[in-house]
Amino acid sequence: MRATRAALLAIGTAAAVTLAACGGSDDDGGSGEAAGPVALTLWTGFTGGDRAAYEELIATFNETHDDIQVTMEVQPWDTIAQTLPSAWGTGQGPDLATPNFDPNVIGRYLETDSLLALDAVGDGEDQINVDQLAPAAVEAFTVDGELYAVPANVATLQLYYNKALFAAAGVDAPPATVDDFRAVAQQLTGDGVYGLSLAERETIQMWPILQWLDGGDIVGDDNCSVLDSPENIESLTTWAQLVQDGVAPVGLTGAESDALFSAGQAAMQLNGPWAAPGYTDAGIDLGVAPVPTGVDGDVTLASTVPLAVSANTDHPEEAQEFLAWWTGVDAQKQFALASGFPPVRTDLADDPELAANDVVSAFAAALPSGRLYLQGVPNATEVDAEGYVPLIGEITRGEDVAGAAAAATERIDAITGCQS
Amino acid sequence: MSTTSTASASGARGVARRGGSAPDTGTTPRRRRIRWQPAWLFMAPSLTIIAVFIAYPIVESFRYSLYDWRVGADSQEWLGLGNYTELFGDERFWNALRVTVIFAVASVALQLLLGYAAAAALQRDGWFNRVVRSAFFFPTVVALAVIGLVWRFLLDPQIGLVSGLIERFGGDPVQWLQDPALALPTVIFVSVWKNVGFTMIILLAALKGVPAQLYEAARLDGASGWRLTRHVTLPSIRPALLFATMIMTINSLQVFDLVYVMTNGGPLFATDTLVTMMFREGFENFRIGYASAIAWVLFALILLLSALQLKLFRYRDVD
Repeated sequence: MRATRAALLAIGTAAAVTLAACGGSDDDGGSGEAAGPVALTLWTGFTGGDRAAYEELIATFNETHDDIQVTMEVQPWDTIAQTLPSAWGTGQGPDLATPNFDPNVIGRYLETDSLLALDAVGDGEDQINVDQLAPAAVEAFTVDGELYAVPANVATLQLYYNKALFAAAGVDAPPATVDDFRAVAQQLTGDGVYGLSLAERETIQMWPILQWLDGGDIVGDDNCSVLDSPENIESLTTWAQLVQDGVAPVGLTGAESDALFSAGQAAMQLNGPWAAPGYTDAGIDLGVAPVPTGVDGDVTLASTVPLAVSANTDHPEEAQEFLAWWTGVDAQKQFALASGFPPVRTDLADDPELAANDVVSAFAAALPSGRLYLQGVPNATEVDAEGYVPLIGEITRGEDVAGAAAAATERIDAITGCQS
Repeated sequence: MSTTSTASASGARGVARRGGSAPDTGTTPRRRRIRWQPAWLFMAPSLTIIAVFIAYPIVESFRYSLYDWRVGADSQEWLGLGNYTELFGDERFWNALRVTVIFAVASVALQLLLGYAAAAALQRDGWFNRVVRSAFFFPTVVALAVIGLVWRFLLDPQIGLVSGLIERFGGDPVQWLQDPALALPTVIFVSVWKNVGFTMIILLAALKGVPAQLYEAARLDGASGWRLTRHVTLPSIRPALLFATMIMTINSLQVFDLVYVMTNGGPLFATDTLVTMMFREGFENFRIGYASAIAWVLFALILLLSALQLKLFRYRDVD
């Protein structure tokens, strides 16, 4: 009997403590909401070198807005991918988030009605000025005529080159055409140096640019893979052969590819503005040039990170006011200067301060020729992981290009639901 | 005191009942309830946690595996066994199963072998042996993800320490994690390197528990070297071997963090285990139902293997 009473007492105490703890946190939440400014939370995956620029942006917003305070929680992209779908799908989670660095992810969240359709659109003070935002991003985030996200950033890939290695090899200018590109890459290879640092996975894709330069593509308008067309096989064969000749390393991740260029062991790399500070810190004599002109003209890969609002937020107006500010002129100018990213607005192209910044102007100049990777392709993430990345891995390791491309086509068509 | 006496009395009653004598009805049920309550109450916190965080998700994931499940959707598409049929026709699944089994068999065997060798060699308690033992054990207490990152850096073919050394001695850098043929052996090596200390400690404790008289008696009978190991040491430490084997098998079938950090299942799915595949399908491709089906196949596999191992070792006990 004594044991029973003691047990009950223990449990009772535990319960009381637990309840007290819960009650306490409830009180805090309640009073904060009632009295102070509206508190918004934002989840982002900006863990890279550009993180500080985003944090400064949030700080500026909070300083200039007494009625709205935004807290940004930065976590790795894969953590967001694991937690956000269930958080938003069940009506919890942050008010705002960048769900993924892949713009195609918007479709996934729309399946579960997790995104707020943005209606505070226009050219007013607190409105999202869609007409001035990068058109490719707006197109990617618009579904059935409704806008579900604004670009948190817009980036293009450009050609980074190591000026010291170029000078040592007697090459005085970065390549201007795709044929030059291949020739210079070959010329610069040797003595433990690769002509081109290429990544095949865990990165923003570099390979589509190589294909686009030759006039090729991955998935056509009918969502069917075009990888096995004769032109694409020819282009892929040429590039894969260069890799096998040792002009570019095999099987690198994005981070490994960056490390190679940082170490001065690669003469060229296709990369975005986020890489520039790291390379300068590493002591690389860095040049940034436009991607060489392809057979169909200028082309490069553009990427954009969607910034969306939860359908279940208690503060849809304030959240959209934040988006309007984020994509506004002042914020974008501040962000571009701090990060080297081009602004997400097109009306800042002629801004003298931005034009004077080499990195910003270089990446901004490529915006008109930027193409998004697998834009609008159903299940694009899966097409990338199960179809395109394995294909590149196979052909750079010497597998027959035609056979590998046919197999990838079959897999991709099954994923996109293409009716061929 | 009172609890003890009640417990022993009821124990006696239980035996008597099993023996066939008529149960004494009337007061028993009420007394039993009094005796049961505190036990359940004490267990309640753990049981609640198990029920909420283990039992419920296990059952729920089986339900998911019967649907094309999307988190938070209003209605889910019923597939029946569709996910399982697709899984058994998916070459990636068979590849992942193959990789998982190779990883488990190789790493468990190597860990046992090397762990035993280290334990046997470092049995004596000198200061030198203590230092070496600590060195072996140290990787065990470091987080897998950290170890994966460090090794990935060391093994980098261009800027890593290992290829630097190889080049200094005139060799060519090896693509440890980029070459599909080398990636899995490399990950297995790192896993063994990390876990061999754990096996060593368990077997060391077991070895120290083997009574010295057994060795003396065996020596008097003329046994030495391998025969001593085979007929005295190994049978004496069998429970520890069973424990180590089972824990390691279960852990290695579920290997994820090391692979995720070092290769993320690549290159070309050469290190894609069942759990990395499950993660990719669930959290990258958002196919929760399909990922749940993989989880259940893995669960069944582990259950089967654990039962087999138990049976195997017990059978020899009876022998």
